[in-house]
Amino acid sequence: MSIAFKELLREPRRFAPVGGALTLLVVLLVVLGGFLDGLELSLTGAYRAHDGLVLVFDADADRQLQRSSVSDDLAGILDGLDATNGVGSLDQVFTVAGGDGRGLEDIALYGYGLSTAVLPEPPPPGSAVVDAQLQRLTDIEVGDSLEIGPTAEPVTVAAIVDDLSQGAPSVWLATDEWRRVVSLGIPPALPPPGTQHALVARPAAGDAVGLAAELSAIDGLDAVTVDEAIEALDVVQQQSSTFEGIIGVTFVIVLLVVALFFALLTLERIHLYAVLKALGARTGELLWGVAIQAIGVSAIALILGCGLSLLFVVLLPPELPLRLVPSRVVQIGSGTMITALLGSLFTIRRLLRVDPAEVIG
Amino acid sequence: MKGPALVLREVRKVYGTGEREVVALDDVDLTVDDDEMLVLIGPSGSGKTTLLTVAGGLLRPTSGSVVVGGNEISSLGDKALARFRRDEIGFVFQSVNLVPFLTARENLLVVRQLGGGRIDRDAKSRADNLLGELSLADRADNVPSQLSGGEKQRVAIGRALMNEPALVLVDEPTSALDSKLGHQVMELLHQEVKRRGVAAIVVTHDERVAEFGDRVVEIIDGALEVAQER
Repeated sequence: MSIAFKELLREPRRFAPVGGALTLLVVLLVVLGGFLDGLELSLTGAYRAHDGLVLVFDADADRQLQRSSVSDDLAGILDGLDATNGVGSLDQVFTVAGGDGRGLEDIALYGYGLSTAVLPEPPPPGSAVVDAQLQRLTDIEVGDSLEIGPTAEPVTVAAIVDDLSQGAPSVWLATDEWRRVVSLGIPPALPPPGTQHALVARPAAGDAVGLAAELSAIDGLDAVTVDEAIEALDVVQQQSSTFEGIIGVTFVIVLLVVALFFALLTLERIHLYAVLKALGARTGELLWGVAIQAIGVSAIALILGCGLSLLFVVLLPPELPLRLVPSRVVQIGSGTMITALLGSLFTIRRLLRVDPAEVIG
Repeated sequence: MKGPALVLREVRKVYGTGEREVVALDDVDLTVDDDEMLVLIGPSGSGKTTLLTVAGGLLRPTSGSVVVGGNEISSLGDKALARFRRDEIGFVFQSVNLVPFLTARENLLVVRQLGGGRIDRDAKSRADNLLGELSLADRADNVPSQLSGGEKQRVAIGRALMNEPALVLVDEPTSALDSKLGHQVMELLHQEVKRRGVAAIVVTHDERVAEFGDRVVEIIDGALEVAQER
């Protein structure tokens, strides 16, 4: 076991200030990351329900669903291509849902024609697929009745799927049923006859990128993968860049905290380092010792910080859009360790100047 | 045979330049034999500390030759000097300077760890033997704050001998101890150095230490004078 590691274990109080600060910064990073992912996921659920498929918009729609209008003729052409293995419509409108003593909730109402890994086959007329977020808000169950839109069109819940929120909890109807419900409650939101907002195409060879490129070559169409469609959502981009900026600044603070702490600790230990150099230690060994301590402290702070973040998240109101995604936690963890390592390297200048001759006389 | 433990030839060490130049060692010639204990005495500022740091590879001389255990060290680079100190020199510092969070045994083993060395069974056995010889076997697992001044000094002596050095350099070993304890520590140091046939230079203000030296050399204004030879 290295000398530095032994010091970390035997004199933990020496490292408590930096450990405490790093723990709080980890909590901040994890919560910020949770909000970033939660907000992004809550704005893109309907698109993510079509992972692996291709979304086809009107070329002039700027990849925005409600601005787009694609004709039935084009849908027929796409369906006849060898590169596709099924084409369905995708329509969207924002409205309200409630009934059965439940309060009204804002919802995104979708009409769809193609099942996906998440969405079942479109339900029969008079029934709907509801996502888990609406279930959380209204306690609705399969078989319950739900009233949709200003005219309170009744539908029966046929299935409940994962949270597919896209700015609001989502309700999914078969395309014809969607047109019927929208034409009764919000007629101006209905796409012109013979059109739909967008199409969803399933690639025959499983290559969504290749199919998107092929379909985009057709005049008047803009075909994209789900990730590209998400990137085109302005609100997602703005929120992502804002949160990523705050996370970046927090990492800079982590760097400064670690650098400052170990710079002060190095000053305090100058005599000990001089002794070790006199006994034959190289500067690299001393620097490695500081780095080991920085990594050790940040690892402990990560464990504590993640634990505290979990507790914090449990205490938050459930309607807040916060999701702890494992990949994000791993990203924050590795980022914290690397930043702490870099911060510890700021001591190199001082370590190089430690003069072993100072210990004699 | 590698020759004497230490040979200094016309060693000169100058600090500063021009009017602020201070000659700390003035063309010093000194030979210390393999199993010789040399006591170096002199007033403050006479250059005895500088001689110790030059002989231990902590400072490079301005000119002259420094040969330790048959190796010329005056022209070595920093890395080579660090390796030289680790392998060839044992230091006993004035203020002991044990690593405060390591036990007595670990303070001995630390010199084996430096330079990427491993603590093998031989190293542990040697550390335990040394602690036994220094009457510290029952204090092996104590950290320095749990040891008395004399015990700390004995651990420092053990650390200096841990790597079987060619030369042990001892800086004011009794300055922080009362006269009785100082005498005991010097007796122990003398005994351990002689048992191993290791050369040692002891720098001191304390004239009572002189009795332990095979030779006593006085340094005044950077120049050596033989004060006493046995």
